[in-house]
Amino acid sequence: MPVIATFRSSHAALAAERSLLGAGLAVELIPVPRQIRSDCGFCLLLELAGAGAPELQLLDVLDACGATGRWRVVETQADPASRKVKHYERCP
Amino acid sequence: MNDARRILDARGAACPEPVILTRKALAEGGFDLLEVLVDDPSSRDNVVRFAGFAQCGVEDVAEEGSTFRILLRPDAGPASPRAGQGERSVQPAPEAPGPLSAQGVTVLITAGGIGSGDGNLGALLLRGFLYTLAEADGVPRRIILMNGGVTLAVQGSDSLVNLKRLAERGVEILACGTCLEFFELRERLAVGRVTNLYEIAGLLLQGRTLSL
Repeated sequence: MPVIATFRSSHAALAAERSLLGAGLAVELIPVPRQIRSDCGFCLLLELAGAGAPELQLLDVLDACGATGRWRVVETQADPASRKVKHYERCP
Repeated sequence: MNDARRILDARGAACPEPVILTRKALAEGGFDLLEVLVDDPSSRDNVVRFAGFAQCGVEDVAEEGSTFRILLRPDAGPASPRAGQGERSVQPAPEAPGPLSAQGVTVLITAGGIGSGDGNLGALLLRGFLYTLAEADGVPRRIILMNGGVTLAVQGSDSLVNLKRLAERGVEILACGTCLEFFELRERLAVGRVTNLYEIAGLLLQGRTLSL
């Protein structure tokens, strides 16, 4: 599932991106969605395949990288013709 | 209310075993409530955290002696008010502008970043801007790349993924051929097509153009 990690600063977000990309993980640096409040304008978007040990390690890495919040991205679609709308739910 | 309850005793299991067992039990289903027993605070935290990611409600977390009892309700969503876990995303601020739309606009990008000041920041801002355009309700008609802007559309560019998303949504991506040749990047163009100054001049003179 897609997850967004927020950071205290753009420098922290960039550093986390470098660390995770360096570890071979697919992450994307994107502007913080309008529905999420964050101290910094950029966040990381990553895909959690499930919740096995590698994913939990990934969460630990995010914490170590200074992530200040994690949000699950939930997509909804009113009907097949319309665009998907994204909602964000804060994760514990 | 008679909830079918399954008890998963993961006491004595080392991390991440309790989470793996919880995931397996949730995948098997056949119950309304899953009661997970663990005997380690980090296992408790990991199971609760996993529940959040698995969109599973946390009804209760209790400590009884050396045992932690976590009550999970599948399909309840993470924002179970009783457990105070999770938090719905906040609504857009009232002052937030309406839906983003760049419909019909020609976007001219002439550098690998936005503005002057710091090159890395400029590149980051442009990358974020292209992501935002790709996510917008209405996408531009076309994007014209000139000078350093052509570097965005070549293999290895951070912005390639967003330009490809825009192209998939019907945005025409045009890269200045002279510029590609100048930077010796013509062979590495990975999205859009090569154009020339006649076409670029014609397109810039018709309709609305947003220049970055």
